[in-house]
Amino acid sequence: MKDLIRIRSLISAEVEALLNQQVRKEAFSSAVYLSMASWCNHNGYDYSSEYFFKQADEERQHQLKFFKYILDMGGNAISPEITGIKQEYNSFREVFEDALDQEINVTQSIQNIYARCLKEQDFVTNEFLNWFLKEQREEEYKARRALELFDVIGEEGTGRWQIDRHIGDIKYDSGA
Amino acid sequence: MVTTLIDTQQNTWSDVFSTKYGAIYQSDAERCWYVDFAGKVAKFDYRCLLKLKKAVYNVDIEAKLLQSTKDPDIEILFICACDHCYILSLLQIIALKDLLEGTFVMLQLNHILQDRLYRIAI
Ligand SMILES: [Fe+2]
Ligand SMILES: [Fe+2]
Repeated sequence: MKDLIRIRSLISAEVEALLNQQVRKEAFSSAVYLSMASWCNHNGYDYSSEYFFKQADEERQHQLKFFKYILDMGGNAISPEITGIKQEYNSFREVFEDALDQEINVTQSIQNIYARCLKEQDFVTNEFLNWFLKEQREEEYKARRALELFDVIGEEGTGRWQIDRHIGDIKYDSGA
Repeated sequence: MVTTLIDTQQNTWSDVFSTKYGAIYQSDAERCWYVDFAGKVAKFDYRCLLKLKKAVYNVDIEAKLLQSTKDPDIEILFICACDHCYILSLLQIIALKDLLEGTFVMLQLNHILQDRLYRIAI
């Protein structure tokens, strides 16, 4: 008896489901960043708004990477439904706290898929995920750095204005 | 239940899994499966078989059992882009779920065997 399922698809049904779940998470992240860009913009934090616009774009690219990978491997990529995007924030700082939380969730989620693939010996998918693991290093670093500005500069006086100005300068260039 | 059916083109169907209530066969030549259940034999390709599995697994059997309303225990399984539709009672749904569970375990086993015995040996 031929292995008909393997002929049609490189990835297992379980991995396919996890990858589709990740497509949804990246789309959700993109939508959340867009909402953050809007909030920052109408509260006068132009640099942060710009920063979040860029993040929203990046998350969309991540979404498409997962999406196309599923299709390339013979799977069925599902365009996700996104609801429940937070539109209001209580403070400038809260925006960045949420951003870091979100990136941590994404890192954990990708590690979870990685663990599943190891169990199945799906090394092909793990090799694909390596790019994302490295990307998450940068994403978490930037989010953490941004939050640190609130402590380093302080929010009093023109503090928030200063923080905003420095958000755009955050870069990650590790040799590691 | 028939063990091996031969069709006109001498196409062999391999047994994948069977229960008291039905059976699923695989045709290597046509790259599809035949589901013998609820009085008919229906052909499913890879995508449709997965859709059937999803439709059956999505029925909340427990909730249906606890329902005290008087409407009949009938589920209509309509599978998008497939030619077949099932109208089943709750007991039949349970039987079909059983059949599909066994089938996917056997297909997984077949995959492991192919991997460990044949693909490595070649
Ligand atoms: Fe991402
Ligand atoms: Fe991100």
